[in-house]
Amino acid sequence: MLKLGKWLGYSAVAILILVAILVWAGGAVNWNQEPPYELAQHWGEKGNGPAQFNDSTGIAITADAVFVADARNNRIQVFDKQGTFKRAFGNKVLGRPMNMAIAGDRLYVPDYFKDVIHVFTLDGEYRRAIAAEDGLNSPGGVAIRANGTLLVADTYAQRVVHLTPDGNVLKSWNGTGIGAGDFNYPTDVAIAADGGFYVADGYNDRVQQFGPAGEFIRKWGGPFGANIFGPFKGWFATATSIAVGADGTVYVADFYNDRIQKFTAEGSFLTAFGTLAQGPGHSEIALAVDADGTVWSANFAGNRVEMWRPAGKP
Amino acid sequence: MFTRLSLLLAVLMFSIAALAADNQYVLGVDGLACPFCAFGIEKRLNKVDGVTDIEIDIGDSVVRVTLQEGKTLTEEQARQAVKEAGFTLRSYAEAEGGSGGRDSQ
Repeated sequence: MLKLGKWLGYSAVAILILVAILVWAGGAVNWNQEPPYELAQHWGEKGNGPAQFNDSTGIAITADAVFVADARNNRIQVFDKQGTFKRAFGNKVLGRPMNMAIAGDRLYVPDYFKDVIHVFTLDGEYRRAIAAEDGLNSPGGVAIRANGTLLVADTYAQRVVHLTPDGNVLKSWNGTGIGAGDFNYPTDVAIAADGGFYVADGYNDRVQQFGPAGEFIRKWGGPFGANIFGPFKGWFATATSIAVGADGTVYVADFYNDRIQKFTAEGSFLTAFGTLAQGPGHSEIALAVDADGTVWSANFAGNRVEMWRPAGKP
Repeated sequence: MFTRLSLLLAVLMFSIAALAADNQYVLGVDGLACPFCAFGIEKRLNKVDGVTDIEIDIGDSVVRVTLQEGKTLTEEQARQAVKEAGFTLRSYAEAEGGSGGRDSQ
């Protein structure tokens, strides 16, 4: 009888520990949480005319303009921040434009079909295509370092590759799997405040953080960042885009959960927001962050651009 | 006489048009909602000789592939393209109106 009581005691403790781990991993224990954002503005619909989209898959911003990768229309559309259509370009060279980046007066567009990074001026003049010396395989996202070198999420190559502007490979983070530094269809890269970078590790349902010298720092997304997807705080169901705010906070498009999640630079969950998709597709696929914290997102299923602000902020 | 000749020509043209019809295939693939996947499948199917159009239907989880006259997409080619894109071919069928008519589930 005493033995049975002892075992019941052990079982209760084990269950308590398990519940505590799940609650912690689920993001319930978190002192940093912020209120959600609200949708302040949106525009767009399905089609091939101005301000119409056929699979919007990337978004980038300047102080006064919004650039949208309009994938199946093989073009980039440009708007002012009130949603007025300004121009479209790229139709002659683009296959499938994805997560773009702006650095200085250049727009960098990864092309999923043509395996290059296209470079345009912000006015839409084509400059060149950057091909990696060892070849890219469906690049899904790009980020530009302060020295002008490129970090590319080389999605089907299962790697992140660091390129010179001429396409020479400086370093490559390779490997398929769920371990630290391994990838499972990485989709995007963003430069961290400390000069390192974050990777949206798409089908590993997580974010990986690397330091300025390329060293692995941490991973997060679900329990132990180990490719376990779910709808809870800090969990993902395919991370498709990543951006860093002026204050170093990290924003991640959590595609199959129809939301954007915001984290501290160290990966603590802050808040989540997004538009629930109507129909079979999903919504929040790509994002960019303004200097004042305004978030711009490409709603894939809704074929529209969305502007998000912290609730209560004018 | 003129009417008969016109009729004959019309029938002949219809037959040629029927013979020249594009071949269409319907491939069942799950997990197409994300463009990082759908575009990956499209990219690989576009490399198959004769492919003129690819349509992704997220709702029905199928890929509709159109090939030009005289060109075919074998089940093995379809399976290989879908596999290279990281997916599994769930079903393969020639669309109604195409030549052949093989089904595989």
